[in-house]
Amino acid sequence: MAAIFSGAPPQGGPGYSFTQTPTAVPSGERQHGFYPYTDNGGSTLGISGADFTILAGDTRSTSGYNINTRYAPKLFKIGGEGPDNKGARIVLSVVGFAADGDALKERLDTIVKMYKYQHGKPMTVTACAQRLSHILYNKRFFPYYVHAILGGLDEEGKGALYSYDPVGSYEREQCRAAGAASSLIMPFLDNQVNFKNQYMPGSGTGHNLKTKEATPLSRGHVEDLVRDAFTSAVERHIEVGDGLQMMILTKDGIQETYTSLKKD
Amino acid sequence: MTSIGTGYDLSNSVFSPDGRNFQVEYAVKAVENGGTAVGIRCKDGIVLALEKLVTSKLLKSGANKRIATVDRNVGIVSSGLLPDGRHFVSRARDEAAAWRQQYKAPIPTSSLADRMGSYVQAYTLYSSVRPFGVTSIIGGWDAEAELPVDGQVGSGPKVGSGGKKEGAKHGGPFLYMIEPSGLYWGYYGAATGKGRQIAKSELEKLNLVDGEMSLEQGVKEAARIIYIAHDDNKDKEFELEMTWISAISGPTKGKHEEVPKELREEAEKLAKKALEGDDDDEEEMQE
Amino acid sequence: MNHLPQAWGRPRDDVYGAYDNSHFQTAGPNQHTQSPIVTGTSVVAAKFKDGVVIASDNLASYGSLARFTDVKRLRKFNENVVVGFGGDVSDMQYLDRLLNSLDIRENYASADDPLNAKNLHTYLAKVMYKRRSDFNPLWNHLLIAGLDGEAKPFLASADLLGTTFSSPTLATGFGAHLAQPIMRRTIPDEASVEKVSKDEAVKLVKECMKVLFYRDARSMDKYSIAVITKEGVELSEDEKLENQSWAFAEQIRGYGTQTA
Repeated sequence: MAAIFSGAPPQGGPGYSFTQTPTAVPSGERQHGFYPYTDNGGSTLGISGADFTILAGDTRSTSGYNINTRYAPKLFKIGGEGPDNKGARIVLSVVGFAADGDALKERLDTIVKMYKYQHGKPMTVTACAQRLSHILYNKRFFPYYVHAILGGLDEEGKGALYSYDPVGSYEREQCRAAGAASSLIMPFLDNQVNFKNQYMPGSGTGHNLKTKEATPLSRGHVEDLVRDAFTSAVERHIEVGDGLQMMILTKDGIQETYTSLKKD
Repeated sequence: MTSIGTGYDLSNSVFSPDGRNFQVEYAVKAVENGGTAVGIRCKDGIVLALEKLVTSKLLKSGANKRIATVDRNVGIVSSGLLPDGRHFVSRARDEAAAWRQQYKAPIPTSSLADRMGSYVQAYTLYSSVRPFGVTSIIGGWDAEAELPVDGQVGSGPKVGSGGKKEGAKHGGPFLYMIEPSGLYWGYYGAATGKGRQIAKSELEKLNLVDGEMSLEQGVKEAARIIYIAHDDNKDKEFELEMTWISAISGPTKGKHEEVPKELREEAEKLAKKALEGDDDDEEEMQE
Repeated sequence: MNHLPQAWGRPRDDVYGAYDNSHFQTAGPNQHTQSPIVTGTSVVAAKFKDGVVIASDNLASYGSLARFTDVKRLRKFNENVVVGFGGDVSDMQYLDRLLNSLDIRENYASADDPLNAKNLHTYLAKVMYKRRSDFNPLWNHLLIAGLDGEAKPFLASADLLGTTFSSPTLATGFGAHLAQPIMRRTIPDEASVEKVSKDEAVKLVKECMKVLFYRDARSMDKYSIAVITKEGVELSEDEKLENQSWAFAEQIRGYGTQTA
């Protein structure tokens, strides 16, 4: 008797062969007349020293000849605690397509925060740098249209600076300028940070000239270089201006400053 | 229990020879142990009230709300297995959202009750599931004004084809109760749970059929009925949870909301007074 | 026996064969929005001491045709937020319904602690960015005006690419060219917001609507204006431009049949 009323499914007989109800229609080819990118202008730069790293960026956001806003930060603290990244020790700067920049920042930030929850220790800059490369590379067929620069202090306490192309190629550098005015700022940095085309006076003529050896610069000096780089860029590039945001990373944490730039 | 040992009560959807589905009847038993829930259909709104039995002193008072909102203008209170009630509400919300997707307008309370009735009934048809262990009271206010379609941006033609019809009547208060079998009726006053018998006899005395009960009076009656229904098991502690829905022109603007603390406390005070005043028998309480 | 409730009442595959969904397919490729069809023009907004003013006209254009003249492009979300829509009207209606369903879900538990303007901007920006990333953009430029979590004035924008920014004054479309410079004269930075009263802000925004009507061929003299403060939302959807002066039109040379 009891067997008749068992709720067990019949064995061996006909049963339902579909596992799921029919869902989506298979999609065909697609045509697009929509361009998903724009350039929001602006410039960023980063310089690393012996025991510090400085990242900087202007705060203007543009659409063509329009200024969207005079204050849109391009520098973001990564990791730390909570929505305002308390105690963070890594900074990401992004310039290019701002929406992608924000999306990239948010992804990296959650990854670094999750890392700390999962491993019980903060992510090192080296690890973070490689992770960022992977994020960018994973989207290489529909890239984040940004030039990213990541800054922090390495495990020995030395200034660490990494720069990226939009598809994740990256290297550690002494200094890097990115964005609209990068072609104006980078040569200046080459000359003033790495002493390119600088020679020791009186060391000879022609090929005998001795190049001036690059030595780590002091923090105050680097801050001056950054300010000079931006005030000059503002003069010659219309997409750069309004404000200068700087983040200085040392063993004591991140110090943030804002100074105004010309608004024309 | 005549069902025990016959085997006809072991699987859902199986009839006994005298035409009963015992699993559904057992589900009704689950409801009979739940805290009393009451719904009153007033002239200008709906009141829902619940005797929330306090199962532990470690529970924060006033937290863990049991009367749920569906869309904006419907409230559901249920008695029986709590998780079944939560699932019922979740389904009702999905139904209301699906209706909006389809028709770009809020679901009428009657249609929601109909869909939920069908849903509950489906759980009596298959051996792979068990019936809902809840009886739910659905109360709603269908807008008396003609609402714009969701996403409407203009006002449309004022006269002629597509213009508004003069003097058309819309909406009003609606109250339904759905049982584990899927059976549902529309009610003037509904009660379920442990104290349902007392509550029902109290509701009958209110002459709700006349349609003269005001919403505010309904709140006070609902509180009183919950207190009276609770009287039988005085030793157990309980919290009174009450929500209401008024007309768009009324205090809740057509939305399902919790009864304001001041009004609820006043209603509770009157309820307690009514209990003390005539402990021996029932008499109408007055303000 | 299939135990999934979603399979109840469905024809059995082994009896009736697999469901043939080929009739779902339409001829030709699946198309996404390539360009907007019925459009709204500028939205302008400015922060002031206690809140935000936002305005947009009531016109929806079909190319150069003034197609609908009573379209409300300012949508009140709740007592804290108003969203202003520029661009495609059908996408605006989609977003309006999306926000409506969001509001319903948000209020299931309780109506206290509602979403603020900052929350809504974050949400809308993510919707816009997701849709552009799917190559299926919502062809709009939105301004989100209201109060943030600290009840301070909040104004930010989100567009079809998912680009976001915030500023003391904002304007979309033609307004970005014509209204923004006018508003920046009075409210150049965040510090100056404190010095602007509600009446001044309303006057400023109304002035901008007038300038836009003078010069934007896709605009109209009937408009909506909303003021969001701690007291809630004051929304007026049937404003008319006042004190117009077309004297300047006499001075315009170089168009039509004029020779000098």
